[in-house]
Amino acid sequence: MTKGVKILIIIVAALFIGSVIWIILSYRTPDSTYVEIVQNNKVLYTFDLSKEKDRTFRIESSDGGWNEIKIENGKICISDADCPDHTCVNTGVLRSEAIPIVCLPHKLVIRFAEKEQS
Amino acid sequence: MKTKRLTELALLTAIALIIFIIELRIPNLVAIPGVKLGLANIVTVYAIYKYNAKEVAMIVFARVMLGSIFGGNVSAIIYSMAGAVMCLAGMLGVKRIVPVNYIWLSSIIGAILHNTGQIIVAVIIMRSFAVIYHYPYLIISGCIAGAFTGICAQLMIKRGFMGKTVEKNK
Repeated sequence: MTKGVKILIIIVAALFIGSVIWIILSYRTPDSTYVEIVQNNKVLYTFDLSKEKDRTFRIESSDGGWNEIKIENGKICISDADCPDHTCVNTGVLRSEAIPIVCLPHKLVIRFAEKEQS
Repeated sequence: MKTKRLTELALLTAIALIIFIIELRIPNLVAIPGVKLGLANIVTVYAIYKYNAKEVAMIVFARVMLGSIFGGNVSAIIYSMAGAVMCLAGMLGVKRIVPVNYIWLSSIIGAILHNTGQIIVAVIIMRSFAVIYHYPYLIISGCIAGAFTGICAQLMIKRGFMGKTVEKNK
């Protein structure tokens, strides 16, 4: 094992352990019920999930695609979309601040908002 | 370029493409954009240790272009391309340090760089740092997937798949 290999193994191990620590530290259940839907870095909607009625609505993206957002029992998820990968649908319900729901093809992000917004 | 060489490259591209398309049928275990096994990169890693930089780049770019067209996800091409460029640049550099017995290591580094490239492009395209939260997950998945593809490539080279010669570092 040469010196270069050792250094690289240490770097990779450090990255790996660093990521695990980062995930553990950043994982917490959200203390806010405010959720914002962001597209192209513009906030489209802000909800208080604890007060929202159950409903389903669509967000059209600028290139003609759509995501169907479902709010049910104070939880939000993307129930359907016409993007090719469907990662956003598979993510399921928004649970943690650490994992926003992201739809890369439609540049859509659903995440917990920091504080109450008017 | 000799015809034999060209045929080998074409064959490798075809193998990578087939693996890529079969992998699309495997559902993702984790619903985080960018997390996948990347089995097609077995061919990339293998090629990096067997062919020179220009030839590897040809294989990878052909695979990424054709893969996104055949896979029906053309919008993802920019992510794949950014990942591929970062991964190639990094691995061609790392190859000078890491001997054949540690291919898994350079494969892990390639995988991490691949994910880094994708995250950078995602941040630029989405104009938002929300995707940064995925980065630690991508590093971990990159380590696991990279180790796996690296071990596969290492076995292929050790078993002498398509000739035993390994490209010498110049």
